[in-house]
Amino acid sequence: MTEGNILESLGSEIVGIVTPVSICMLLVVLLVQSLTPHGSDVPVASIAMLVYDEQPTDSFTEKLGGAMLNALVFVIIVTVVTFLLVVLFYFRCTKFLRAYMGFSAFMVLAYMGGGVAVLLIQNYSIPIDAVSFLVMLYNFATVGVLAVFFSKMPIFVTQGYLVLIGVLVAYWFTMLPEWTTWVLLMAMALYDVVAVLLPGGPLNMLVELAIERDEDIPALIYEARPNARHIAPLPNSPHPVSISSSASDSAAQATQIPPRWRRRVVTAPPPGNASSAAAAATQLPSNVVNEPVNNQDTVRPIGISALRIESQPQPPGQAQALAPPHSTVVMDGLETSSRTAGRSEIINIEALLEDVAGNGESGVLSAAIKLGLGDFIFYSVLVGRAAMYDMTTVYACYLAIVAGLGSTLVLLTVWRRALPALPISITLGVIFYLLTRFLVDPFIVNLSTHYVYF
Amino acid sequence: MAEREVEAGWPGSSVTESNESGSPGRGGGALQWVTVDGPLGVQQEEALKLARNFFYGGFCLLPWLWFVNCFYFWPVLRQRESDPLIRPYVLWSGVGCLTMTVALLAWSLTFAIGGEDVFGSSWRYFAVYDIADKYSMVQMLS
Repeated sequence: MTEGNILESLGSEIVGIVTPVSICMLLVVLLVQSLTPHGSDVPVASIAMLVYDEQPTDSFTEKLGGAMLNALVFVIIVTVVTFLLVVLFYFRCTKFLRAYMGFSAFMVLAYMGGGVAVLLIQNYSIPIDAVSFLVMLYNFATVGVLAVFFSKMPIFVTQGYLVLIGVLVAYWFTMLPEWTTWVLLMAMALYDVVAVLLPGGPLNMLVELAIERDEDIPALIYEARPNARHIAPLPNSPHPVSISSSASDSAAQATQIPPRWRRRVVTAPPPGNASSAAAAATQLPSNVVNEPVNNQDTVRPIGISALRIESQPQPPGQAQALAPPHSTVVMDGLETSSRTAGRSEIINIEALLEDVAGNGESGVLSAAIKLGLGDFIFYSVLVGRAAMYDMTTVYACYLAIVAGLGSTLVLLTVWRRALPALPISITLGVIFYLLTRFLVDPFIVNLSTHYVYF
Repeated sequence: MAEREVEAGWPGSSVTESNESGSPGRGGGALQWVTVDGPLGVQQEEALKLARNFFYGGFCLLPWLWFVNCFYFWPVLRQRESDPLIRPYVLWSGVGCLTMTVALLAWSLTFAIGGEDVFGSSWRYFAVYDIADKYSMVQMLS
């Protein structure tokens, strides 16, 4: 394949990820604009506010110090829960994990979704009655849980629900007080780097466990559609003779192996050895390098965002050989706390348990970019907070975040390992928010009011 | 080579044969991809299982699930002589969804448009924003 092809396919892959992120951010901005345009008057009770309750009248140092304490507590709790997840995963408590994640997703959709809906109804005085509202909410939440965790559904529906979960959690986070939000964002970006890149980090351990065991981590991950350009017609599957043969003698079936969406298929060559078989020319996707086994949809304990590029094994007959399998997982931690009782309950949102075992197929790996939902959420929180100041900051932050995401994706292809998606974007976002708010905005406003530019 | 087994007994459906070895294009009314996801979606037995589960699941007062079922198997619904196993489930899901939606809409619209004229004082009892105000839900949310 030529350079042009790589760029084309990489471009469409990136668009496939940037679009849902943008939609998520847009929805959060719309919600913020209509419901709490200047920040909420009554901040939500949450784990992030355990230590310090920000008041508008506090001094600068008090606010900063308190916010940092809050963020520290939050990060500690996230770390603890992530380690808990690693332990559970290590002891193979898959059913429990899956059930718990299903439950937490249902809580997000029903409780937070219902809450946001009620706020909207109040705001716009929609004359809906309780019965139909409950029926619709029940439908929405149940199908959502099914779509995200338990069942195969149209790709569009699953992706849509993932984005909606991101929107709801992000909106809820924007209700935190201002200083706490910003410091929390930066703390989470730091945590992300540490947890993913350091060998002792919980996310790193989780990924390695998953690779070792060849299992998927239960997690909430958004997976873009694989590039359709190399989809070959699928022979009707009742007699998957052509497909079930191992990848090593898959010469004839090269063109008949379809990419799968979110389904892990075991390849014959174990992950480690594939690299030895790789020829020099490693193409980037659409035959994105797929990571064999495990790791595909994993990630995200507690909302870790995983960004992965997966490789697709090329049939030996074609020019490009198997690229070394690599997965770049961009992770980020996220945690939501429930509102009831006051901050004690932690809901982990995660989950995409792929039904891996016993697929009975081999030789096919899906090619797709995956981004964990925590990234969606924190990007949207940043933009939502920016929306509480003015729309100029929103535009600046949006561009900064997309630039950061793009560069992270490019780094992914260079480094070929798990990468945190938060740090670059959040750093750029915060810098540009501060610059816009304190430099650009006063400048523009003054120019406009004094008619310097006509 | 792959052939699809078709059960006899569904009235009105034609027996179809699938393509061989994955050549593109359709032969004689057979569908290549039964789901709206095309080559990325489920096929055959798995599709049948899904369609059936969604159909029965929708009876738990879930018209939205029925709608998703129809959306998912839209190619099956569109072609009259497509998969005779899946089609009944999808078709009846569609019918069920329409019925439930019409009923729900009828009630909702009566409530919304009729308002107090139709219901009298009990209207305030049902309306969501009144209930929300009563329990000061904004506070509850915080």
